[in-house]
Amino acid sequence: MGSLVRLELPVVWRLFARCVTTVGALGLAWIPSAVEAQAPTEAASPQRALVNEYCVGCHNERVVNGQGSGMMAEQLQLVGLALDVADIDNVAEDPELWEKVVRKLRVGAMPPQPRRRPDKETYDEFRRWLEAELDSVAEANPHPGRTQAFHRINQAEYRNVIRDLLDLEVEVSTLIPPDAPDRNGFDNMATSLSLSPALLERYVSAAKKVSRLAIGEAPPGGAVIETYKIPLNMIQTDQQSEDLPFGSRGGASIEHYFPVDGEYQIKLRLQTNYVGYVRGIDEAHELEIRLDGRRIRQFTFGGEAPGVPAPISFSGNVRGTDDWEDYMLHADDPLEITISVPAGPHTIGVTFPRQTWEDDGVLQPRQTAFALAINEMPDTNPRLDSVQVTGPLSVTGSGDTPTRRRVFTCTPATAVDEQPCAREILGTLARRAYRRPVNDADVNTLMEFFQAGRTEGSFDKGIQFALERLLADPDFLYRVERDPVDLPAASDYEITDIELASRLSFFLWSSIPDDELLAIAERGALSEPDVLDAQVRRMLADSRSQAMVDNFVGQWLYLRNMRGVYPDPNIFPQFDENLREAFRRETELFVGNQLREDASLLEMLSADYTYVNQRLADHYGIPNVYGNRFRRVSVDGLERGGLLGQGSVMTVTSYPNRTSPVLRGKWVLENLLGAPPPEPPPNIPALEEERDGEPLSLRQAMAQHRENPACSVCHAPMDPIGFSLQNYDAIGSWRDLNEAGSPVDASGILPDGAGFNGRAGLRDMLLDRPGDFVGTVAEKLLMYALGRDTEYYDTPVVRKIVRDSAGNDYRWSSIILGIVKSRPFYMRRSDS
Amino acid sequence: MIVAKKSIARRTVLRGLGAAVALPFLDSMVPAFAAIRNSAANPVRRFGVVYVPNGMAMKHFTPEAEGVGFETTRLLKPIEAFKDQMHVLTGLNAVPSNAGVHASAATRFLTGVTPARTESDLQAGVSIDQLIARKFEQHTQLASLELALDSRDVSGSCDVGFSCAYTSTIAWRSETTPLSGENNPRAVFERLFGDAGSTDSAARLARNKKDQSILDSVSDKIDTLQRGLGPNDRVRVTEYLEAVRDIERRIQRAEEQSDRELPEVDQPAGVPATYEEHAKLMFDLMLLAYQTDLTRVSTYMLAREISGRTYPEIGVADSHHPTSHHRNDPTLYEKIAKINEYHLSLFNYFLEKARATPDGDGNLLDHMMLMYGAGMSDSNLHNNKGLPVVLVGGASGHLKPGGRHIRYAEETPMANLLLTIADKMGVPVDKLSDSTGKLDLLTVS
Repeated sequence: MGSLVRLELPVVWRLFARCVTTVGALGLAWIPSAVEAQAPTEAASPQRALVNEYCVGCHNERVVNGQGSGMMAEQLQLVGLALDVADIDNVAEDPELWEKVVRKLRVGAMPPQPRRRPDKETYDEFRRWLEAELDSVAEANPHPGRTQAFHRINQAEYRNVIRDLLDLEVEVSTLIPPDAPDRNGFDNMATSLSLSPALLERYVSAAKKVSRLAIGEAPPGGAVIETYKIPLNMIQTDQQSEDLPFGSRGGASIEHYFPVDGEYQIKLRLQTNYVGYVRGIDEAHELEIRLDGRRIRQFTFGGEAPGVPAPISFSGNVRGTDDWEDYMLHADDPLEITISVPAGPHTIGVTFPRQTWEDDGVLQPRQTAFALAINEMPDTNPRLDSVQVTGPLSVTGSGDTPTRRRVFTCTPATAVDEQPCAREILGTLARRAYRRPVNDADVNTLMEFFQAGRTEGSFDKGIQFALERLLADPDFLYRVERDPVDLPAASDYEITDIELASRLSFFLWSSIPDDELLAIAERGALSEPDVLDAQVRRMLADSRSQAMVDNFVGQWLYLRNMRGVYPDPNIFPQFDENLREAFRRETELFVGNQLREDASLLEMLSADYTYVNQRLADHYGIPNVYGNRFRRVSVDGLERGGLLGQGSVMTVTSYPNRTSPVLRGKWVLENLLGAPPPEPPPNIPALEEERDGEPLSLRQAMAQHRENPACSVCHAPMDPIGFSLQNYDAIGSWRDLNEAGSPVDASGILPDGAGFNGRAGLRDMLLDRPGDFVGTVAEKLLMYALGRDTEYYDTPVVRKIVRDSAGNDYRWSSIILGIVKSRPFYMRRSDS
Repeated sequence: MIVAKKSIARRTVLRGLGAAVALPFLDSMVPAFAAIRNSAANPVRRFGVVYVPNGMAMKHFTPEAEGVGFETTRLLKPIEAFKDQMHVLTGLNAVPSNAGVHASAATRFLTGVTPARTESDLQAGVSIDQLIARKFEQHTQLASLELALDSRDVSGSCDVGFSCAYTSTIAWRSETTPLSGENNPRAVFERLFGDAGSTDSAARLARNKKDQSILDSVSDKIDTLQRGLGPNDRVRVTEYLEAVRDIERRIQRAEEQSDRELPEVDQPAGVPATYEEHAKLMFDLMLLAYQTDLTRVSTYMLAREISGRTYPEIGVADSHHPTSHHRNDPTLYEKIAKINEYHLSLFNYFLEKARATPDGDGNLLDHMMLMYGAGMSDSNLHNNKGLPVVLVGGASGHLKPGGRHIRYAEETPMANLLLTIADKMGVPVDKLSDSTGKLDLLTVS
């Protein structure tokens, strides 16, 4: 700390005046009486001196407590942090405040430009010192935090729980609404998972539907129509799925659950223009339906063209003759079959056998918007629009489904056997569903419902009714963690092994513990370090850990938002549903495989490979990739590889019609560097768009962010990061010229002086601070694992996890095990 | 590729009376049902709110003239046909927020309070529609109905540092329980008519009986659940218990009203493919709920606050929120005006239907008070001052004839309007947030 200078002058006064001047220069008024300086006592330590010199000019009690006006003063009042009264020589007094300070130092956000700052060495040394102080404070006084006692099962978890409980895949979006992500972007935070009457009704209703499906009961209202719609802009020129045969073109492969043995109607609709003319029926085409891969019907349609057509391009405005109109509107009416299907999940494949001619494989602009609505495209290839499954039209039995096999662990031979058999079935289900050993009271309650159902109908009906009751039980809908009795308030304790099992399974699988995990927990062996270690590794290797990709990665990287982006078709005519799908798949496979292969977290940034299919390869300019199957390819020298530069990330951080350096910069700060910028102040003045009559470029306009400290505090780190990715347009294509047609300048300098250029430069800058990136992922994971916000006392835990995993190359397993073995995960503080 | 997501086919139909009827369905299939106990002697009052995000193009909203002679501005043009039942209110100020302007805009609109900046818990205030619902719920099966068009699962695109619940909710049942709107018409239908697939009454009664036994059994467990919990942990149990009670109450009411004839309507298949179809279908369901007296209170967000939806169907392919920061650029301003107009034309769709639906001695609109508005005024500034608000409907004679533009004095709190609305609905509320008293909607000529 030798480089720190002891300050002997009343610097607070001097610096305070300077802060006022800076703000004043921006035309933001101050109340003069607010400025009352006090001569500070001599700095007691080098740290105090440093804070005095560089921070308290603005971060002082008077400003923070409301004196002064203007944007910057308002921001300071919002943020707080009166660093003149906070005692840096005793950080134990207020670790929460100093953790906030550390976070600001991560990307060198403070002091804001153009304020003076210490040299880099002093700066970094100060941060290290402060972190070490905070770590030792936490070490001496650990705080495991407190998860909320009631944690509702959310939508994504519900799907997995039903799958693991009943061996039943349900279309959960039709059962339960999605949950709002909390302020961190995760939808599994206990405090956000409230319950309204409407929502409880959905759970009660879902219980009914799921229990009926489970025993194989026909829906009460008779046949149900379920429609699978293919997005209008899904290009159908290729084999759409590996479940469809080679040499097929377009269509879809659909997993449908047939509730009972019986007859079902499958009806196919073809894509039409806006008046309903079926497309591509100038010539005859073939279309086939497959069930579990076996062809069950081939249709031939089109090529008839009866009557006199409407003049071309007057589609819908001028009629053709009646028979032509009828043909154009109803050519797909005959495309339906009625077949007997055994109950259970089956794959319906619908596809066109490939014809002798095919696309040349050169990516063409997609027909979108107006043209796509109007044009009847008589000579094109027809496309599948939707598949409707209606049924059951007749019922022949409940069938022998995986679900029934899982539920009915015994079959009563006589009436006397029924009671014990029902008890066995319900006891087994309840143990899994409630995720704990069951007692007589649990089973007795369910047996009342069994009895009611049995009286009304069959043995199966009794089980259905009891299962419906079980799925509405608060013990099922909530994960409950209870303080041990007689424990004094606000004391720390280790949660039970049973509770630990649920924490583990909901963290790694977003689902219930399996029998093995629960059995170990029941024996009380789960908290033994070796056993815990082995279980975590087993669970990560299990396919259920895909939930971490779907839920954690999907939300951490905003991947889920891919569903809702609609790039402007006039600017990005090449964007289609296939690309949307491919973007999402790429990132999922990329992170998912690294997780399974237990790679280093840093590989998410440094990888020189990615996963593409032909559509995505064409988009990225990677040669020699054919077909719809995703495969790993090297992208060495291609400006791809790593999360930065992936189409998904570039697209969800753009506006529909242009890129936004601000959105991208914010995304990186928040999700890769863990230094989220605070919210923008209200009533932000517009950026000047021209100066001296000359229009300013985006970069020039945004340079104004640096001139005003109230802006630069957030924008100085955000903008350069965003600009470094300007070589990727709003759908992640590489470009050399920006929207304005000038060459992209992807260079930038962070507030701490670190300069970098382009994606590779940003990547290297991030890799130079592995602790910050890994720490950010670890913190988000901890949050996700606990289902609660991380607090200041969790930050030292995160730093320790990162430190401990460094020797292990920051592998996924070392981070995940670090979390599982950390106090916040296996301990809890009792209610105060 | 596996297409797993189900949505409605292009030929969107609701099947009713055995025949397929394309949307809009209500005209053709409403039976002689309108005789709910609604007579001149005992008029039922109904309340509804339609919310739009990101403020408005104010210079196209605010009329120059005050009082009865006000001119129809560009944004009011789509609902011009209802001028005689319309109060245009300008100058009302929402409580300011120094953080999370979008989260605040939606949250304060009906609650009068801005979201608490707590570390994690949700906290706002009870909204006015819910205060009204608490009084009205004794008459109807559902206390209220909350509708939306956006899916709730969006990460990172809500207001910085605030839960997405704030931007996607205007109705708050309690300080900690937001009632986020349902966006799936199929689910709305189920909430109104149950999951028997149609509105058939025998099937519904049977379902209700079963639900009742399950809920009874579940609420027996509440004591066990509560054992050993501290006061902080009880919040969720209480919430659960209240939800159970609410459903039980609905079931009981449904049984009392089982002789009531419902229009025969089948369940919609799912979310329609286009925004407009979706928006109109939700309006249809909202109307159906009022018409069948299943509820007397509903709220509907045509888009969530800070929405970045694009509207290519009206030639605005730009994202709504960034465009709303128009910086007075005429091109951007025009786009915002277009979006505002479009939303109002959808509102007009509902108004027309409500007026065409007979109810007691008049039509539905005569017996409703609908509030249409935004939680901020000028979108560029995200301003809390001078919110654009329109009241439409006769409120069963509790609103004087409309056709007025009332400009309130500066610093008149929006909360005063909320008090006034509650008063007109027969639910006296003394004070809400920064309210200073009720507004005078009556004497302005």
